[in-house]
Amino acid sequence: MTSAYVPGLEGIVASQTGISMVDGQNGRLVYQGYVIADLAEQMSFEEVAFLLWEGRLPTRAELEALSLELAGHRSLTQAATIALDALPMDTDPMDILRSVVSVQGAEHKLEKPSVPLAIRATASFPTILAMFNRRQLGLEPIKSRRELGHAANYLYMLNGKESSPEIVRALNTYLVLLADHGMNASTFAARVIASTESDLISALVGAIGALKGPAHGGAPAAVIEQLELIGTADRAEQWMRDARKRKVKFMGFGHRIYRVYDPRAAILKEMCRRMNPKFYELATRVEEVALQILHEEHPERPQSTNVEFYSAGVLQAIGLPKEFFTPTFAVSRVAGWSAHVLEQAANNRIIRPQSEYIGPEPRKPVPLAERA
Amino acid sequence: MAEFSPGLEGVVAAETAVSEVDGANGRLIYRGGYLIEDLVPVATYEEVAYLLWHGDLPNEKELEALRKQMAGARRLNPSARGTLMAMDAQTDPMDVLRTVVSAQGVAKSLTKPTLDEAIALTAIFPTIVGAAWRRRQGKEPVEPRDDLGHAANLLWMMEGKEPDTERARWVDTYLVLLADHGLNASTFAARVVASTGSDLASCVVGAIAALKGPAHGGATFAARSMLDKIGSAQNAEQWLTDAHARHERFSGFGHRVYRTYDPRAKILREMAETAAPDLYKTAARTEEVALKILHEAHPERPNATNVDFWASVVLSGAGIPKELFTTLFATSRVSGWTAHVLESLADLRIIRPASRWIGPQPGKKPLQLAKR
Repeated sequence: MTSAYVPGLEGIVASQTGISMVDGQNGRLVYQGYVIADLAEQMSFEEVAFLLWEGRLPTRAELEALSLELAGHRSLTQAATIALDALPMDTDPMDILRSVVSVQGAEHKLEKPSVPLAIRATASFPTILAMFNRRQLGLEPIKSRRELGHAANYLYMLNGKESSPEIVRALNTYLVLLADHGMNASTFAARVIASTESDLISALVGAIGALKGPAHGGAPAAVIEQLELIGTADRAEQWMRDARKRKVKFMGFGHRIYRVYDPRAAILKEMCRRMNPKFYELATRVEEVALQILHEEHPERPQSTNVEFYSAGVLQAIGLPKEFFTPTFAVSRVAGWSAHVLEQAANNRIIRPQSEYIGPEPRKPVPLAERA
Repeated sequence: MAEFSPGLEGVVAAETAVSEVDGANGRLIYRGGYLIEDLVPVATYEEVAYLLWHGDLPNEKELEALRKQMAGARRLNPSARGTLMAMDAQTDPMDVLRTVVSAQGVAKSLTKPTLDEAIALTAIFPTIVGAAWRRRQGKEPVEPRDDLGHAANLLWMMEGKEPDTERARWVDTYLVLLADHGLNASTFAARVVASTGSDLASCVVGAIAALKGPAHGGATFAARSMLDKIGSAQNAEQWLTDAHARHERFSGFGHRVYRTYDPRAKILREMAETAAPDLYKTAARTEEVALKILHEAHPERPNATNVDFWASVVLSGAGIPKELFTTLFATSRVSGWTAHVLESLADLRIIRPASRWIGPQPGKKPLQLAKR
């Protein structure tokens, strides 16, 4: 039986999952049964990664073991270090991540996906990005610090000094919030790859490639760029109405799933209010105007501020350069990607949908010499 | 919400004119409406790549221009070369391919996939495969030859000497046969990555990652490994009967789409008799016995020799070591992958299916660490 073509597979169930659920009607994001608001500001990224991989929160001993494992796998292999240095300084950091994760995870033989491999991959993402950022700035790489947690160590390796507890907490919350989100395009790409019984690294490299796209993870830098163009809150309405006439897209708005306010956006918005008041003042006004205009254009559509809009303000407050916004999304989502790959591998069937042929009816080819 | 169809079996995920697998009638149709068995006698791989990209076969002038463009794009850029040389020589060749294609494709900023990029990426595969093989043998990579066709240059890059025309023709025919095949898992992975607005290298890297799986591109290697274990025609019946009793799957048999003999397998089977006469005898007897056992076990299932089975014999005859089989598959399929990505740009919509929640009821409250 073949069902009709549904563009974008919208509404088509592609997998069963117990990792996360996006309840768009009620504006809830649920990780393994826990509502995101109950995790966001209480759990470390490490605890949430454990939750996604193992299906339950860790005990203290388990959390310590995981933290140690992560800290022990932060160094790059020699091949990955050389490759990182061989890539041009002005490369898109997502391309760096895609390439260096691929080298770092290269193996002699095909390995089955496992939690230890997920830990190793997750541990390496911040190192790759921090080393590349420092190289771009002409600075020496910083050795990781074992006693620092995942978020704190990422910032330490970027900046060469410890960040304030507030900043570390903010990055940690961001990493928790973005760690998984149902069957999004990059996660789905990872599952398609895993469904051929390929390895974890291959699935992650494919997912990075998908996350890079502006329709997925590639938009938060564009949020900042648009806000810079708008400049000040009092100019927002004029600028945005003019922009709309030129068919300019509002960055940070629109998604397929939530019918009400994205619960992650709500948390990030509140963080922006505390940490990035300048951004907050402009962004809230821009949001107000954007929602107003979007509502005028499509009154039937729901409210649609997406997670990237206020992510941009939080990541800016943390001090990340905007080119590192999408790669930092990957630093978080790698936990979810790995969990999905493990789940796919545990109960696998190759994901091989069908296509509908829209080309010409069969005909005979003409030999080269006779072609016009 | 729609029913869950594991593996998206029977779900139409794209409309395409690039190729059509008509499983009921055992036909593979390439873009323009050409049946695979009609193309093989008249078209080289370059012509078929042109066909998949443009929608019709090239005339002599167009073919010459494409050959020139491909020959001019066979050299690795410094970052890809640096990355290749940094990797352990014994790395799985698919991991080398995934990584070096990623490095070759890095860019300063995101660009929309183009035909020129598709041509350049297709041209680079033999260089990487050849270099990976030579490094495995402890040899230095050789420079590509501009005067050779795609298949002959591939053998040159592996062996450092010019291949005889017959071997080059076997490889070329293999490349023609495998260049596209509807919405298989790797092509689907490429389209999922493309659907986010990502770049062509990311799509191709994701496709390589998917092809690596033993349930997809890795099957040719598995088929040859099984033939190695069987060893000889007279050993086939005993070995297969024993393997069946152990519930082992027969590599090279079984396919989701074809209800009759795979048309590619048919062509390869005929070639195999000349290309690898000894191995052919073992393989032919193996096929006979395997089909008999499979038919007895599942009389309702159709004839099931797949392309991997006979491809493994032909590639062996052409002098390709089995460790490179999956990379040869990729070397062929990259034209199809890129054709699909370019096609999808005309009506890009993010591929973001739904998932069915099978986890715990949402809303459970997390316990504090000390209480777990």
